Amino acid sequence: MVEFENVSVTYENGVDALNNVSLKIKDGEFAFVVGASGAGKSTLIKLILKEVSATSGNVIVNGFKLNKLKQRKIPYLRRTIGVVFQDFRLIPNMTVYDNIAYVLRVIDAPQKYIRSRVPKVIALVGLQDKLKCYPRELSGGEQQRVALARALVNDPALIIADEPTGNIDPELSFQIVRLLKEINNCGTTVLMVTHEQELVEYFGGRTIAMKNGSVVFDQILPGENTEEEYYAN
Amino acid sequence: MRISSMKYLVGQGVKNIWTNRVMSFASFCVLTVSLLLVGFSLLATMNINRFVSGIENRNEVILYLDDNITDEAIAEIDGVLKSTENVSSVVFYSKEQAWEDEKAKYENADEIFAYFEESPLPDAFRIKISDVSKMRRTITAIDARFASQGYIINIKSPDDFASILTSLKSTIAIISSAIIIALAIVSMVIISNATRASVFARSREINIMKYVGATNTFIRIPFFVEGMLTGAVAGIVSSVATWLVYEKIIDILYQENNLWKALGMGEFIPYDTIWLKVSLAYVIVGIVFGAIGTAASTRKHLKV
Repeated sequence: MVEFENVSVTYENGVDALNNVSLKIKDGEFAFVVGASGAGKSTLIKLILKEVSATSGNVIVNGFKLNKLKQRKIPYLRRTIGVVFQDFRLIPNMTVYDNIAYVLRVIDAPQKYIRSRVPKVIALVGLQDKLKCYPRELSGGEQQRVALARALVNDPALIIADEPTGNIDPELSFQIVRLLKEINNCGTTVLMVTHEQELVEYFGGRTIAMKNGSVVFDQILPGENTEEEYYAN
Repeated sequence: MRISSMKYLVGQGVKNIWTNRVMSFASFCVLTVSLLLVGFSLLATMNINRFVSGIENRNEVILYLDDNITDEAIAEIDGVLKSTENVSSVVFYSKEQAWEDEKAKYENADEIFAYFEESPLPDAFRIKISDVSKMRRTITAIDARFASQGYIINIKSPDDFASILTSLKSTIAIISSAIIIALAIVSMVIISNATRASVFARSREINIMKYVGATNTFIRIPFFVEGMLTGAVAGIVSSVATWLVYEKIIDILYQENNLWKALGMGEFIPYDTIWLKVSLAYVIVGIVFGAIGTAASTRKHLKV
């Protein structure tokens, strides 16, 4: 669960990134966060990952009260969150297998479990034959699916996808969101930041729109478009 | 932490050396040059100290004895001198011996010294002092010990030699420590810059690791392993290089010009007597420098 209570963030350079935002994303929910650049979407994610701290207000993520969270406890918060970035952020000198296994090694999982879990997750995103490849040997869409597998492997309570479709073509974008939806159907909370209106219109669901650091719209939209219309757009 | 995790992290450290081989090589070079600079300064200091000690050992204090001294008194003085602190050797030099030695200096000694029926020279003790800086104090003590008996008629001591040598030693100690400390500081700065560059190149990687919930320790261990291994290899290479260069320098000075012996500078420390200490010091210092360098430079990037 993610909860924002009157959260404001002012950066050191004086920029007001968030103004008094209150927001609650319940366990098992799927929510899109939309808005132009500079609207505060990135700050929202940075707050959840405790990369920045709120200037005022309270942030609670998966039971962690972030205002009081000590620096050395941050890794434990992040282990409850799977993150997918627009630029994939795979470790370049590790194979697909090692990139995904790294998350399990971080939590000191037994070798035996790692060996059985990683192939399962990679099969979920359909890349079982790419386990020994390095990120540079994969296409953008494949890299993003690896990133998704990495976000999933640890069975996190929350997955944050920050513009996950920003660097891949429309067809693959569709697949990625559908994968995220499937993951959500299994009970994982998903928060997806995007500026692609078409995707939101196609899939529908809870949509939070941001502008100038404030939430200006927070409603459940019906999925309107068909897949064909999505591609046409 | 599980053994399998530890093995993984150590393995990552070893692997990273090859993956980032250009940077590893740069760090290795910097470490090796730093180790060699400090190592050779230390070796030079050790040798200079040895030469100075060699000169120091040549000091000689002569105690001239009264003409009428008895054998018992000589034995008594011998016993006292041998048990005196700071006296490293005691040799009795009889008047007969002194006379023979004196006559040996001249070709026609028998003609020149025909009028002398017996040795006109006094009996004497020749003693050597361990620490010349305390020479005066030791002599005064000996003099005071026998003042009442009147056994010793005169003491000849190289006081100028002692004071020059003492100030030479302290000057060498100050200059060499200053050079070594300065080199060590410069080395640390260069090493931390080299590793900083290497770590900076991987700051993105560290960043990703932080996002998936890795603790600082987990991220650091491979860097530590990498730094320590690079340091160890630099240490080994430095020991081999030092051995070769040191032997070569001695060879040149001893043989080719025979300059060293002509100058009467004494012997260098033979490398086979110190190689183990030198090599161990190189490897240990290399490992410590390597580890500290990486620890210091990863710090900044871990704050995400």
